[in-house]
Amino acid sequence: MHHAHIDKFSYQDSPIHRLDSRVKFIVVLIFTAVVISLPRTSLSILACYAVGPFAILVLGKIPLKFAFKHILLVSPFVLVLALSCPLYDKTPVTVAFGPFSWQSSLGWMRCFVILGKFVVTMMALIALVSTTRFSDLLTGLQRLGLPKLLIIQLGFLYRYIFVLIDRAHHILRARAARSMRNLGLKAELKIAAAMVGSLFVRSIDTAEHINIAMQARGFDGSWHTLSKLRIRRRDLLFLLTAASFMLGLYLLVKPVLQ
Amino acid sequence: MPNAIELKNFSYKYPDGTVALSEISLSVEHGQKLALIGPNGAGKSTLLLAMAGFIKGTGEVLVDGLQIKKKNLKTVRTLLGCCLENPDDQLFMPTLFDDVAFGPLNMGLEPEQVKTRVADALRTVGLAEMADKPPHHLSAGQKRAAAIATILSMTPKIITLDEPDGNLDPRNRNNLIKLLAGLPQTLIIATCNMDFAAAIADRATLLDKGRIIADGDAKKIMSDYRLMTEHGLEVPSKKSKSRL
Repeated sequence: MHHAHIDKFSYQDSPIHRLDSRVKFIVVLIFTAVVISLPRTSLSILACYAVGPFAILVLGKIPLKFAFKHILLVSPFVLVLALSCPLYDKTPVTVAFGPFSWQSSLGWMRCFVILGKFVVTMMALIALVSTTRFSDLLTGLQRLGLPKLLIIQLGFLYRYIFVLIDRAHHILRARAARSMRNLGLKAELKIAAAMVGSLFVRSIDTAEHINIAMQARGFDGSWHTLSKLRIRRRDLLFLLTAASFMLGLYLLVKPVLQ
Repeated sequence: MPNAIELKNFSYKYPDGTVALSEISLSVEHGQKLALIGPNGAGKSTLLLAMAGFIKGTGEVLVDGLQIKKKNLKTVRTLLGCCLENPDDQLFMPTLFDDVAFGPLNMGLEPEQVKTRVADALRTVGLAEMADKPPHHLSAGQKRAAAIATILSMTPKIITLDEPDGNLDPRNRNNLIKLLAGLPQTLIIATCNMDFAAAIADRATLLDKGRIIADGDAKKIMSDYRLMTEHGLEVPSKKSKSRL
């Protein structure tokens, strides 16, 4: 079965794809921290920050439709949080945009800023995973000092999440094929619990088989990999550009923030 | 020269007390291609696990003359490569390269040697261009070939394969037959597919209810209609038999 992998563009070739995964990860991490720490009434500043990930997506030849589709997929979680803001903060504020101005509430402002920050940081994250192979990202994280155990677990998660999704689809399909009528909430919940249980048992089974496969190939608890990462001049140039962009914007908006 | 595999009166019970293997005595010479045939639940997979030292029973198991003990398990697993039934269980690393390199790295080889072994193994199975792909991007046939490459990169003397033809279409099955038939290693293949077994094996061991029912020349055993049907199997088609 084929899945719409979030990293399906990571195997393309572009100047962004060729950058070292560690550099991209550090830039995205700092960028996310900077965007999150922006004050609550800074929509126009947020729009300036969005230029960064937007440029990366364009240079990395990642279709914007793909990026926004994935942002939409995870948006319900943030939407709940953002839309609750106008309910508890009704302090009136005047919003001005060029010659136009109108009355709104601080809650609505906060709502739009939360959504804006979410979109901008998600764009950066999608730009990272769409231009970096997951294996390179893991190697990069390992070289940055993340615990090996965490790296191994992330590797397994990436490898088996699709196998698990496949199995869940098969179970659901088998259920649908024999589902002739609605059995009522109680019975449906019971069936759902049995399906989750089946998935769980099969996952344990798979884990045992993987353990055998690892031991059969000499695994004794220590993890060995061949690291292929190397910082080149283009990585330093990217780091410098990203730092200038973030610093420049900070200096530009500093008077506004004060 | 010791036999590739030697089992002497090996018996094994599952934790619930069910007898899985009973008094198995089997010798496999180096270079032989043995088909372990039998119906579902005959004990074929369990016997392969016993050969790789994954289950402990009564009796003796020797791999290339080396008795399976905790202290020489690492050596045993360098001598014997074990390919599981489901390639998704065998391919657990983020990329095919990492997966094929996993064994050689655990053997303590130098990075350059590892790279050479990975390249050789992938070339042998026809996946040289796919090294950087994650396993979930491969087709069923490619996954099976990749699983074999993970074993080949360790250059074992003996390879055990559990139902390697499962889920393969005829073209991929034929490719696999060509690949396995061309390998110089001792092969022990557990399968219920008689056409597949007939196309590769020179020796067959029929297993049912945890016991060896027949052992000998593959052509002779697999063409015995009565023996095969009695144990829920079938004789291979004429085309497959002609390859024997």
